[in-house]
Amino acid sequence: MVSSLTVKSIKLAALLAAVLLHGTLFAGTMESAHDLMARMAKASRELNYQGLFTYEYRGNLTSVKVMHGVRDGQTFEHILHMDGAQREAVRRTDNVDCLRTGDMLLRGNAYKINNDNYARLEDFYEFHIKGDGRIANRQVTMVHVLPKDKHRYGYVVAIDKESGLLLQSVLMSHTGKPLERFQFVEIVVGASLSEMGFDEEAEDFAGVAVDQVDCLEANRQVTSSPSMWRAQWLPPGFVIASHRAADENGQESMMFTDGLAVFSVFIDPDKGRSLPSIDANLGATVAVLTKADINNQEYAICVVGEIPRATANQIASAISLSP
Amino acid sequence: MSDHKERLDQSLSAFMDGEASDMEMHRLLKEVSEDTELRNKWKRYHMASSALKGDPAIASIDYSSAIAAAIEQEPAHRQGGLAVFAGSAGRFAIAASVALVAVFGVQQLNSPLDTVSDVSEFAGVEQMDEENTGPAIQFPSGFQPIINARTVSAGGNNKRSQYVTPVIEVRQQVKQKYSETELRAYMNDIMVKHSNHAVLNSNQGMLPFARLNDGEAATEKE
Repeated sequence: MVSSLTVKSIKLAALLAAVLLHGTLFAGTMESAHDLMARMAKASRELNYQGLFTYEYRGNLTSVKVMHGVRDGQTFEHILHMDGAQREAVRRTDNVDCLRTGDMLLRGNAYKINNDNYARLEDFYEFHIKGDGRIANRQVTMVHVLPKDKHRYGYVVAIDKESGLLLQSVLMSHTGKPLERFQFVEIVVGASLSEMGFDEEAEDFAGVAVDQVDCLEANRQVTSSPSMWRAQWLPPGFVIASHRAADENGQESMMFTDGLAVFSVFIDPDKGRSLPSIDANLGATVAVLTKADINNQEYAICVVGEIPRATANQIASAISLSP
Repeated sequence: MSDHKERLDQSLSAFMDGEASDMEMHRLLKEVSEDTELRNKWKRYHMASSALKGDPAIASIDYSSAIAAAIEQEPAHRQGGLAVFAGSAGRFAIAASVALVAVFGVQQLNSPLDTVSDVSEFAGVEQMDEENTGPAIQFPSGFQPIINARTVSAGGNNKRSQYVTPVIEVRQQVKQKYSETELRAYMNDIMVKHSNHAVLNSNQGMLPFARLNDGEAATEKE
């Protein structure tokens, strides 16, 4: 009898412990995985770091050197492809605190679609902490980001425990296949600009245009564009992040994001005649070019982004000129 | 009672006490799947044992024949299967409650991503074919026929054929002419602009710049 009672109470205790422990872990996970992502975005913007990362897609591997530093509120970035043709990009941002639409969306209740509704990343992705790992000889937290619909991909990301920097990001298809992978092999965090050999006074930066995309105030949407073009349909959760009026070639562009995935729409009034309709794959990026014949003008409408092809097609066919 | 039956009974008793040898277990499992009387005895033993331990429900389900069949097919797992079965009802119940939670957890967390046991499997070219409709094989620059469409590589470079070049699929046989050079220039241009945008809004730092292919070198500087 005593032994029977003992067994029962052990069973009960085990059951309770399992349920409680699981519940607590799960609730905690939901909270902190999203926090981790928000911290990651902030870290990649505000910290000084330099390192080497690999970029891989479809069996194709390239390596890239990156330097990122902040001084006096200005951000300096330098990226250099280490193999293939010589390619490098430099970038300067005047205001390190500048928040873009993507930042807002990641922060949760910061981005108002209209008076009543907020765009919330959690409505379109699930975030799960998947344990610990080691990337570039640093301890990381693995996070799985799962899309809740078919209009965006998922991610497996590794976030540095110490700095919060993103050390690995794998874009995952809906069938769980990796489409592309970024992964640091080495990173140094916290060095000053001069220690990194960064000369922000050098010519390199003199000619670099400062980002044209406006910073956002909290709860502000990108001011509605004067464009006559409208997307009659957008995948849920995506909001406009910027709009550029026609440039000297007449090309107009709109950028959309849900906070993680990004796609761009380009509209060219003249290219419709000279470009074919295309479906293109560039790594995990798809480009869909359709044409619209409006008032004897053949427009080329191109949707580019790291989104599923079907979604890109749907967007492309929903772009139209307002009457 | 025949010698054979007596021996089996002894084996069953030994088994219930966790003291049966491997050979006895094997013979017992073989017999129990064929011998109804022995199987009923097996059940009774388990019910009695479970009742003693305070959990009558478990033993009323007859796993023995199914387990025997499964074990028959998987000799490698013989030891493990028996160990589970030989466990006391108490242990079984605790395991079941954990399993319940585990199943719950899986339902909550199960996703395509979970099927990827290790992202290091990534590099396999063939794994990616389903999503990327373009040919995954080395694709030389220039034109190459695809079903009902023509493909041109963009951003490619003849001297660099060791790279898998991006693939552009021309949707229709267009009547009007278009210039491959212009198409490439256009694709490069929008990729650079798109990357610039992604850097600002994807929350992944400078990573989107890595997507820029060889072909974009000329226009990459902002």
